[in-house]
Amino acid sequence: MLDAGRHPNIDLMAYSEVESMEGESGAFEIRICRKARFVNEDQCTGCGTCAEKCPIQVSDSFNMGQGTRSAIYSWFAQGIPSTHTIDAKYCRQLNGKKCGICQKVCQADAIDFNQKDKIVNLTVGAVIVAAGYDIFDPSRIPEYRYRDQPNVITSMEFERLLSAGGPTAGHLNRPSDRTVIEEIAVLEKKAKKSEKMLGKYEEKYKMVSERFYRAFQSGEHGDEKDSVKWADKYKAYLEIKSKREALKTRAERFSTAKNLAFIQCVGSRDFRFYQFCSGYCCMHSIKEAIIAHEHEPETRSVIFGMDIRAVGKGFEEYKIRGGNHSNISYHRGRVAEIRGGPDNHPVVIYEDTISQTVKKEAFDMVILATACAPGKSLKKLASVLDAELDEFGFLKTNHLQPVDTTREGIFVCGCAQSPMDIPESVSQASSAASRAVQVLMTYRKVS
Amino acid sequence: MADQIKKENAEEKPRIGVFVCDCGSNIAGHLDCESVAEYASTLPGVVFTKENLYTCSESGIAEIQQSIKEHHLTRVVVASCSPRTHQPLFAGSCAQAGLNPYLFEMVNIRDQCSWVHMGQRENATEKAKNLVRMGVAKSVTLEPQKEIESSLIRKVLVIGGGMAGLSAADAFAAMGIEVILVEKSGALGGLLRKINRLANGEAAIDVISNLIEKVESRSNISVYTGSEVKSIGGYIGNFNMTVSTGDKNIEESAGCVVVATGALPWVPEGLYGYNGEGVITQIELEDRLKTGALNASQIVMIQCAGARTNNREFCSRICCMTAVKNALIIKEYKPDSEIHILYRDMQMYGTEKEKMLWDARGKGIRFHVFDKDKPPDVKNGKVHFFQPLLGETREIPCDLVVLSTPLLPNENARNLARTFRVPVDQNGFFLEAHAKLRPLDFAADGIFLCGSARYPATTAEARSQGIGVASRAAGILFKEKLVTSAIVAGIRDDTCVGCMICLNACPYQAISFNEISNVCEVNVILCKGCGNCAAACPSHSARLKGFMQKQVLAQIRAF
Amino acid sequence: MNKDILIIGAGIAGIQASLDLAEMGFMVHLVEQLPSIGGKMAQLDKTFPTNDCAI
Ligand SMILES: Cc1cc2nc3c(=O)[nH]c(=O)nc-3n(C[C@H](O)[C@H](O)[C@H](O)COP(=O)(O)OP(=O)(O)OC[C@H]3O[C@@H](n4cnc5c(N)ncnc54)[C@H](O)[C@@H]3O)c2cc1C
Ligand code: SF4
Ligand code: SF4
Repeated sequence: MLDAGRHPNIDLMAYSEVESMEGESGAFEIRICRKARFVNEDQCTGCGTCAEKCPIQVSDSFNMGQGTRSAIYSWFAQGIPSTHTIDAKYCRQLNGKKCGICQKVCQADAIDFNQKDKIVNLTVGAVIVAAGYDIFDPSRIPEYRYRDQPNVITSMEFERLLSAGGPTAGHLNRPSDRTVIEEIAVLEKKAKKSEKMLGKYEEKYKMVSERFYRAFQSGEHGDEKDSVKWADKYKAYLEIKSKREALKTRAERFSTAKNLAFIQCVGSRDFRFYQFCSGYCCMHSIKEAIIAHEHEPETRSVIFGMDIRAVGKGFEEYKIRGGNHSNISYHRGRVAEIRGGPDNHPVVIYEDTISQTVKKEAFDMVILATACAPGKSLKKLASVLDAELDEFGFLKTNHLQPVDTTREGIFVCGCAQSPMDIPESVSQASSAASRAVQVLMTYRKVS
Repeated sequence: MADQIKKENAEEKPRIGVFVCDCGSNIAGHLDCESVAEYASTLPGVVFTKENLYTCSESGIAEIQQSIKEHHLTRVVVASCSPRTHQPLFAGSCAQAGLNPYLFEMVNIRDQCSWVHMGQRENATEKAKNLVRMGVAKSVTLEPQKEIESSLIRKVLVIGGGMAGLSAADAFAAMGIEVILVEKSGALGGLLRKINRLANGEAAIDVISNLIEKVESRSNISVYTGSEVKSIGGYIGNFNMTVSTGDKNIEESAGCVVVATGALPWVPEGLYGYNGEGVITQIELEDRLKTGALNASQIVMIQCAGARTNNREFCSRICCMTAVKNALIIKEYKPDSEIHILYRDMQMYGTEKEKMLWDARGKGIRFHVFDKDKPPDVKNGKVHFFQPLLGETREIPCDLVVLSTPLLPNENARNLARTFRVPVDQNGFFLEAHAKLRPLDFAADGIFLCGSARYPATTAEARSQGIGVASRAAGILFKEKLVTSAIVAGIRDDTCVGCMICLNACPYQAISFNEISNVCEVNVILCKGCGNCAAACPSHSARLKGFMQKQVLAQIRAF
Repeated sequence: MNKDILIIGAGIAGIQASLDLAEMGFMVHLVEQLPSIGGKMAQLDKTFPTNDCAI
């Protein structure tokens, strides 16, 4: 990645989109919109001071909505370019409020609230589409209750939980538990605020609130304005405290998730959604189970799948090693339903083919291996480039020209062509590069 | 030449410039950069110091370049982050300003100082000063170097003329690179010659013949069939080899090599009563389909025959697809035939293959899963198997059993691996440089691989990899000349005792033993400057440029 | 002949294609819609089959 950011022959245009294309193979005229970041790319050094000081917090999409980031942000810590970007939707200054804190703290003087989208025109000989895929939204499968059950999450959300740079610094804290911890923090803040308030009365009347309240309750303080207010405040404080204590007692029992279920083919191999197999999800579930076990040796994982497709080089060996050393078991079949259970433990309902009975089992967390959905932007891109999509929604190719689209001079690689893992994407990328060069060379001969 | 460079920048008294980077708050937040810079200015030889907010920013670089000119600097030391990421930028910027890039020295006061001593400002500042003093001391002893240039032959040797090798050859030729294509058997085409139809219904022989015709018509491809590479020498850019065509030996040379030797279906002697008649393999079925010799109507196919077992763990990737393809073909011309496929996991990954599986189910082809521990039993025209889904043993009468056996590496792959000095994996397939990020490269520079020689591949995959490998090799062959870093090892022939410890320590096979002079020698093109040999040599004869004893000692003594 | 090539999307596939082309001496314009390059792979913790860090 770093190499791509530094190579003299690579002109990196992040935060940009192709708007239109004209011309033909050998000389395509491209119009690119470089979206305004409101931060000067040449000046920003990526130090992150602005993000630290920005008062606005929004949900962090890099972490799949788990945790927050500032309105001025870098996509992720090691991102290239490291230039920060202002999210115009949330920035106070850009929405007419008074702020500009980032501008004040930026030592590199990189913030520019007046920046506008910029159009860049290019002429290129060939185009390679590597626009990837989208993650299937599992809330479309009502019986898996992705939205209602906090501890039913997607594989990508789970990847972020496993990551040391993720929202839990790599700890497998269950989302429901995290919500409670967050609630405690909020109550803690509220309690502090009311303590401060009570402190004012205590000072004024030289009496601790507790004693005052007891006296008030036995009618000693009548109904003077201050007394009623003080009493109300104290009552509210007691409520906050008891709520906080109750949550704290609950939180004492929390532990990281150790009993995991992985549900395969969520949205894939399913006529309601995508009939194809997404190819990589069996392997990433095995991987995630192995890593979870590395984090916490008591972890046990069950992978529910119709077939376990470990088809790449060394993959079957990886699967066997995972099964042997990482406490993974495989269960053949499609999971019928996921229901809520006590203590937010999702219950997986499946058919046990050995005993031929319907079984239920509760897990700490359930991870949905979501399908590799054709990218939303791919459709738009296909029409801009005038290249056809195949029946599955990916860019159409032919098996003997596996990276040539239907439009001459336009090539495709990676998950924009069909679902595939990283090794396949990498070798296909070389293939697309090779084809692009071949096209350019034919023009060299002619001209 | 060498003398001239020496005179270039390295006069008696070096004039050193030191740049201390704040890295925003990354460094300056945890140690006192100003006092480090101030301290640096007191060190012997230092004539210029500067603290930058970001030395790597455009303005920081401009400052380095300007001061090289204004203050006639002959050494530049930057105290900042990691040389892994920033050395090329700084050294390159020095070169632009006329200073030999090897007279640049980098000191890491971030990853190895400010980041690891957060909250200990004074200690961190002290340590940074120490590190800077050591770097400055080393810089004095640096010598200008010249990058190593070597010529290259814009020609490639492709071994194997199947789908992958032919696709590679065609791609190279289309890129204007001359190709030597060596095929062991008498004809080009490989395994596809033996195959009936591809998954989309096209006759395999038509597909491969078209490609062969295209390759043979290209003027910049020399095809040697019935030939083998007998021996190969040289290195990236300059390989030379002897190709034996059976009756004569031909000397050839090439800048890069592509291995595309494919794989062959395993013959399951002794398994499931295999006999080549009533119990055959998929490749034998292909032949019967091609010649119209298939006359069975009750067929059972058994998957993973000899694959995914305890002693051959790997999944051969393509055999599930092959079975479904052949079952569909049979169903098409004999709709009333009964076909059962016994499998462990149907590996129909991706879009098209999964669709074939749906189609096959729709056409009445029956799929039954079996357990690895309870494989089917083939006896007297019947296949018995335990069906875990129903919990009972079933029996299917049949007039043909087809075994889906894995593709295994070509028998001579191991020999070839030895000839080319490239590794194979535990299954005998060629081993790429990195399973994820460099699937088409060998670790050895200038040698590449594609197709089933790496791992079983479908026709489309072999084609794609063949095309792709051309891009990998062209990254080398399109260059005017090979330029490699001057930071390489050298072995003093007057002190080397020929113990060959270095030879084994070198991970890049860059060291060879000279039988005549009895000393070890470094091939500077292959050397990556890791320094293993310099550390291992008991007589201090192996030395790494830029890390010579006097340079490292100067640094240590300055501590 | 125009020696420039446009690559749309800077996930692992787009990055690899760019590097290959750049090494072959062609000028690459790499367009990414998000603020940084890396695509999905950048979001992964570790990746099979080598289990080394994704970036
Ligand atoms: C949870 C999970 C775990 C996985 N784990 C592994 C693993 O361990 N090992 C493995 O090999 N594979 C794994 N995979 C698969 C892996 O993610 C893919 O193989 C790989 O990311 C595909 O790369 P790509 O470059 O084709 O697509 P992407 O990574 O999706 O990159 C496409 C890029 O293009 C950009 N883009 C899209 N449209 C446009 C447009 N119109 N203009 C400009 N830019 C655009 C996107 O923003 C994105 O940056 C995993 C997948 C998932 C979901
Ligand atoms: S790879 Fe596995 S989980 Fe993913 S769609 Fe295919 S079979 Fe289902
Ligand atoms: S592809 Fe299918 S038959 Fe072949 S080894 Fe893999 S699972 Fe077995």
